[in-house]
Amino acid sequence: MKQTLTKKMWRETGSAYLFLSPALFVLLLFIIGPIVFAVFLAFHKVQLLGTTSFEFVGLDNFARIADDTRAKIALWNTLKYVAIVVPCQTILALVLAATLNAGLKGEKFFRIVYFLPTLTSSAVLTLIFMWMYNQNGLINHVLEAVGLPTYNWLGDPDVALNAIMIMNIWSTAPYFMVIYLAALQDIPDSLYEAAELDGANAWQKFWHVTVPYLRPVTSFVVVMGLIGTFQLFDQSYIFSAGSGGPNNSTLTVVLLIYQYAFKTLGTMGYAAALAFALAIMILIATLLQRKLSKEESLY
Amino acid sequence: MGKTKWIAALGITTMLFGSVLAGCGGGEKSEQANGGSKQGEKVEVTLAGWGGNPSEQKLLQQTLDDFEKKHPNIKVKYEVIADQYMDVIKTRLAGGQGPDVFYLDAFEAPALIETGALEPLDKYVTDEFDVNDFEKPMLDAFRGEDGKIYGFPKDYSTLALFYNKKMFEEAGVEVPKTWDELREAAKKLTKGKDVYGFGVAPELARLYYIAESKGGKVVTDNKASFADSKVVDALQPIVDMHLKDKTAAQPNEVGATWGGEMFGQGKAAMVIEGNWAIPFLQDTFPNLEFGTAEIPTINGKKATMAYTVAYVMNKDSQKKEAAWELISYLTGKEGMKTWTSKGYALPTRKSVAAELGFDKDPLRAPLVAGAPYATVWQNGTNLPIIVNNFNNQFVSAFLGERPLADALKEAEKTANSEIESR
Repeated sequence: MKQTLTKKMWRETGSAYLFLSPALFVLLLFIIGPIVFAVFLAFHKVQLLGTTSFEFVGLDNFARIADDTRAKIALWNTLKYVAIVVPCQTILALVLAATLNAGLKGEKFFRIVYFLPTLTSSAVLTLIFMWMYNQNGLINHVLEAVGLPTYNWLGDPDVALNAIMIMNIWSTAPYFMVIYLAALQDIPDSLYEAAELDGANAWQKFWHVTVPYLRPVTSFVVVMGLIGTFQLFDQSYIFSAGSGGPNNSTLTVVLLIYQYAFKTLGTMGYAAALAFALAIMILIATLLQRKLSKEESLY
Repeated sequence: MGKTKWIAALGITTMLFGSVLAGCGGGEKSEQANGGSKQGEKVEVTLAGWGGNPSEQKLLQQTLDDFEKKHPNIKVKYEVIADQYMDVIKTRLAGGQGPDVFYLDAFEAPALIETGALEPLDKYVTDEFDVNDFEKPMLDAFRGEDGKIYGFPKDYSTLALFYNKKMFEEAGVEVPKTWDELREAAKKLTKGKDVYGFGVAPELARLYYIAESKGGKVVTDNKASFADSKVVDALQPIVDMHLKDKTAAQPNEVGATWGGEMFGQGKAAMVIEGNWAIPFLQDTFPNLEFGTAEIPTINGKKATMAYTVAYVMNKDSQKKEAAWELISYLTGKEGMKTWTSKGYALPTRKSVAAELGFDKDPLRAPLVAGAPYATVWQNGTNLPIIVNNFNNQFVSAFLGERPLADALKEAEKTANSEIESR
């Protein structure tokens, strides 16, 4: 009796894996494989072109990060970017969602208008913004018209990263706004009614009912924002034509990884080590965020 | 019942596996089919390059058509890699899917030669090909450390001074002959923030010859040495023109993307650009009256840059004989004459240059005159790292964030530590 049962179990798991095998094969080949290979690369000095060579160097690639001035600049830029963009886009998304949920006229129309930026591909968006950021472009003309100082958005190291921040906040906030909107519709009206009976005004209702209720969603939005902003690449790549300039001001960690992987020869291993370090950094940031928000995971 | 299920499952799985594997292997199989060049069968050679303007493309197509007519057994498949050319080429080479013949900029050549991804061409060369006809500096740019030639330069371009004739007339200035004259002229030509006397590209590719004009060296023994006081002295005037005289600006300060555009829009009275700017200006700004002159002398010495590109062969190519036929035609006297006949690029063969007579063309004569004394834009395998660091820090000095000497010192340190840890 017992034996037949195990036999049956074996057969069942066997056929399950057989049916799973195409998916497993694809997963192994295109997802697990590259990750393992990247970790392997991180511990080697690699020359992929011509005479291919892999030389085991242990932790040298990681030690090198510590002396790399450009890696430090890239890290600083990325952290600055994350620290400013994540809170801004989260708050903006929440405020936009709250106003759109307040039952104003033309709500649907504004939902569409606000959501539009998200639909544009980031590469196209960057190119359009580069036009507007041009010295003789739209943004400077508007600033001039209102009597504000104009900037060399693309060429001045002090403002180039800020220009990318503005662009990114503007384009990702609507995406998170939609998530907030969905969550807002979920809040039971009875809570607001109870608050009203207690004499709460609009602001108190927002602060004491809406915000706490949205905490799990906020947690999700912040984590996704963290991951997205740590991986900033395409905007700064297009902005600086791949160089991270002017004066390293738009150099991000992923852009640096790209430069080491493809621009200079024989530094693929170092690039993999940087990528590995970035992955750990994102992991730590995410764990920290979860710890701070003290929220049971809902996602 | 159980058995049939098993068989069905097995069947589906093998089918899926099969299709996945076929999808992966397909490219290679067809490649091999083309590779086996049997007698009488057509051989297809792939040629990769970056695209030029439409007229340039037409010229290249004509050259390729001529080649195919003369070699009926070879078919050329021309691929344009429009963006990030070197990244694409390197990735394709590493993946074993590189083109048989491709363009290679002299700047990238030493590093790529060092990896062993290129086929040395010496053994293919015949007397008829006439190697000595090439301008020597251009040819040497593609010589490996082993002395072998890895590519033949298809054309080159030097830098010259472009000046706006109308603005010069209005300001009553002569075309400057020395760098000091240029600085004075720029003062007279500048009109506040609307027109700058001189448009500068603050990058090493354009400033290399100026940096070395006082005897300093930008690169020594494959390492950065541009913090040398001689180099700093040589570059200081450029920074001073921007910060003190306020007579020079970089293109993005006036909303242009490069010097040619800045010049064409009338925001700079003078720029130093290459051959490529001539057709651009004529097409985009047909009403602009401009002239060219040799670059003003620095310390009484003539200097300019030369940029050159070669055709090179992939070491892993399966069709090397056919690939060489293509290279030898494109860089041979006949092919080069067709390719350079309209003057978009200058011929690297002396005989072709003499035949086409670009030295008598009023706009191109100064560019041709620069060839013998030009510095070829190339220096060892580490130049890409050196340039990246130089450009980044030079901009900060150019914008007045800190003194030039400090900026270059830091850039040199960063560049060399990057080189050492390679």
